[in-house]
Amino acid sequence: MEAAAPAPALETRDLGRRFGRRWALAHVDLEVPAGGSLLLAGANGSGKTTLLRLVSGRLESSAGTLRVFGLDPRRQRGTVRSGLSLVAHHLSLYPRLTAAETLALWLRLGGEEASRARVGELWVEAGLEEHGDVEVGGFSAGMRKRLALVRVRIETPRLLLLDEPFSALDAAGRAWLAQWLAGLHREGVGLVIASHALEWAAPLCQRAVRLTAGQVTWRGPAADLLVEGRAR
Amino acid sequence: MKLARQAWLIFRKDLLLEWRGRARTVSVILFGIVTLVLFSFALGPEAEPLRRGAAGFLTLALLLSSVLGLNESFRLEQEDRALDGLLLRPVEPTALFYGKAMGSAFLLLLLAVVLLPAAVVLYDLSPTPGGMLRLLGLWALAAAGLAAPGTLYAAITGRLQSQDVALPLLLFPLVVPVLLGSVKAMDLVLTGDPMRQLQSWTLLLAGFDAIYWSVCGVLFPFAIEES
Repeated sequence: MEAAAPAPALETRDLGRRFGRRWALAHVDLEVPAGGSLLLAGANGSGKTTLLRLVSGRLESSAGTLRVFGLDPRRQRGTVRSGLSLVAHHLSLYPRLTAAETLALWLRLGGEEASRARVGELWVEAGLEEHGDVEVGGFSAGMRKRLALVRVRIETPRLLLLDEPFSALDAAGRAWLAQWLAGLHREGVGLVIASHALEWAAPLCQRAVRLTAGQVTWRGPAADLLVEGRAR
Repeated sequence: MKLARQAWLIFRKDLLLEWRGRARTVSVILFGIVTLVLFSFALGPEAEPLRRGAAGFLTLALLLSSVLGLNESFRLEQEDRALDGLLLRPVEPTALFYGKAMGSAFLLLLLAVVLLPAAVVLYDLSPTPGGMLRLLGLWALAAAGLAAPGTLYAAITGRLQSQDVALPLLLFPLVVPVLLGSVKAMDLVLTGDPMRQLQSWTLLLAGFDAIYWSVCGVLFPFAIEES
């Protein structure tokens, strides 16, 4: 007997979200298979962040259906959230905690032991070896982003949502992040990346959609998005 | 077990952040002292009216100071959307509530260490050591009764631009039983309890605490989810 195919990591049908009278997102149909990857392109205000917040369950949809791992992210939030990570534009860091304290807090909240070795391993992965005992408020934007990203290692998600992950990083930081995300993807983690940095994000993704004023106006292989972008 | 562990971690995190930003804690304590001093100025130099009103002044100082502390408690979580990071995973919203409410209750309890001796001096009170302990216990009950609904409402109003106004408007009517119970019970400790009423008022305070801590814990997950 054949094993059933895993539910798609993300599936939307006619998905919409309204703020007052304005539709921030409308008639969005998407599918990301388990372990797949999707690039969300589009100008500021096109609905990329709203879509990520809907998928993460932080916002409720106003129309259509949304399934994450085959489940409703609002009704079965516990199960959905245990398989999701979101690295948003706001990094959800406490400026007065040090990097080591931040990592230890995340580890403990996840039920893990926050041994010095484990915390050290994480801050080495983030490239913050010299700064473990520095308060996050004193970090540069790039260092803060690296710290927020390494949280994903603690959460071990099946689907990782990233909102403008390449912003605030210098060239070396972008290269590090691209390599790091490629590694995660090879390990089977699904990726949904909302980004303006198409030259960095497109090589990481199989498929892409362009959102314009909340609607999908283009879809295709992510590699074609660069060509399509140049032609516009 | 997971819930208790997460609540404890949130509580510890809040205390650490309080310690690192202690200027805020100091300002809450100073505000409490200033409130007590203003009441003493308002009633004039005679000791008797001050003594008679001491229980009310102490409770009002606690109530007014609590608003400052509670407002700030959720501002920490709104900065850089730290709350989202906690909620997306792996923190249970109920654990977040109990952790933050315990943190606020602890901060309000700390106020007692300064405000109770200050009131003794300002209002010319002479409680026995046992009386001071009873006052401390009643203060703890009142602080708990303010911290639970205060945490719930601070979470609701945290996203509003008018949080500073909205929080007291919502909180004060709800905590009237705590205010009444605390004033009455403290007054009985300070001025004598010939009718043996202290136990009833203490039980009333404890009863409202139990209601607030359980009902607010149930409502909190709905309060922080965006719609």
